[in-house]
Amino acid sequence: MSQASSNTQLDAVLSTRVRLARNIDKIPFPVRLNSIEKQNVNFGICRFLSEKGCDLTLTEMSSLYPYEAISLAERHLISPEFASASEGRVLLMSQNEEISIMLCERDHLRIQCTKQGLQTQEAFEGAQIYDELLSSGFRFAFDQKLGYLNQNPKDIGTGMKASVLMHLPALSATGAMARISATASKLGFSVRGSYGDGASVKGDIFRISNTVTMGISENEALTNLKTMALQIATKERAAAEELIKDIGIRDRINRSAGIIENAVLMSSDEMMELLSWVRLGAVYGAVNADIPLINKLFVSMQPATMNVLAKRKLTENERDEIRAKTVKQIFR
Amino acid sequence: MLCQNCKRNDAGVHLKRIINGEAAEIHLCGTCAVALGIGDTAGSFSPFGGVQGGNLSHADTRRMSNKGIRCETCGFSFEDIARTGMPGCPDCYRVFAGKLRPTLVKLHGRAVFNGKGPSFADGQEASPDSLSELRERLEQAVREENFELAAVLRDEIRSLSEKEVQ
Ligand SMILES: [Zn+2]
Ligand SMILES: [Zn+2]
Repeated sequence: MSQASSNTQLDAVLSTRVRLARNIDKIPFPVRLNSIEKQNVNFGICRFLSEKGCDLTLTEMSSLYPYEAISLAERHLISPEFASASEGRVLLMSQNEEISIMLCERDHLRIQCTKQGLQTQEAFEGAQIYDELLSSGFRFAFDQKLGYLNQNPKDIGTGMKASVLMHLPALSATGAMARISATASKLGFSVRGSYGDGASVKGDIFRISNTVTMGISENEALTNLKTMALQIATKERAAAEELIKDIGIRDRINRSAGIIENAVLMSSDEMMELLSWVRLGAVYGAVNADIPLINKLFVSMQPATMNVLAKRKLTENERDEIRAKTVKQIFR
Repeated sequence: MLCQNCKRNDAGVHLKRIINGEAAEIHLCGTCAVALGIGDTAGSFSPFGGVQGGNLSHADTRRMSNKGIRCETCGFSFEDIARTGMPGCPDCYRVFAGKLRPTLVKLHGRAVFNGKGPSFADGQEASPDSLSELRERLEQAVREENFELAAVLRDEIRSLSEKEVQ
């Protein structure tokens, strides 16, 4: 119940991420490199960073089981694209997992910094440290008018993709997301479900990101994104406060809690839906549950990540059983 | 995946289109696709849409017929860029600057980079295109019947000559 009083407006925000796309000048984009050429690019970058004393863990993607790679994407540490192929790809990651640098994704470098909560500026600064360090050792492909020259013409300019991950159950339940997404896209933002395909969003978790990379500075883009996220959070709060008065919704929340307490098997889709209702109830004081733990479970109980935690490939039934057992802990 | 229009049938048609300068993916069932007249003419309607996988529109693809200059760094011709929807290396942006311009304008408008560049670029000024250079390129664009580029260049010439008068 204590969480309900502390800054409820920001309860909708899960995390903030900033990703910078960079390429080394005069070297073809990764898709045009063979594996030896990619290795050379990766080796050069890794050697430079280790000479500079950076404490980053190196993972060759080709050394991972497929589920280990997918788990990194489930945990938002790499892009799904990076997990989809392993040849010539290297991941550099900081101990606390805030910094991850993808080598030879679609661009030579994707420098990413993730922060909990709404911290656009902080996430940018975290990524910028590595951007500046690397630009002292490599000449990045850059043009005064076009900005950073990246593989996808959409990503030129600042090459910065900043995003905020939000849990928006009330706006989803009231059918407002389509309108919000349309408005956001006119203002230069994209709103996408973070889990599930385009057709169905799992757990009401959305990623709001900037699409404008030209004509405005990084700081303007970050300020705009923050404003956008705050507006959506305010809308979510207003919708939730209305929704929670509805006896049908309270019934839904408490039934979800009841299933979590009693289920023996639980699929990942079912968990996403139940946790979404219970989190809504917990934020607005309708049920008592551990919100930070719910935030963690959204990620850690995804199929591939469960395999990683178990250190082997579990059967679907095994996963569903462990999931049902684990999810109950939100009420302890 | 379900059809985005009727939300009932399976979407068998996947298109990439440029809407307001944004490349958007559209997923429709065959019935809705025909009903909505997507794909301009029924005949051009393939599962891959009018565009192959990228940010380049029909108009760009049409222009592919231009003779074969290649980027020295990656070996790409403009045909290769139009086919894949992506330049092969950073230098492609320089070699094919004129031909890429309409696509970039579609994606980003007339805006230019306004962020923080790498430190080596500090103090460098963007060299503005000179009027004569632009006029030369306009003539070439008209010769090649590249009217989309010509329109962009004409606007640029107009705004630049207005600036010079001031
Ligand atoms: Zn349909
Ligand atoms: Zn090239």
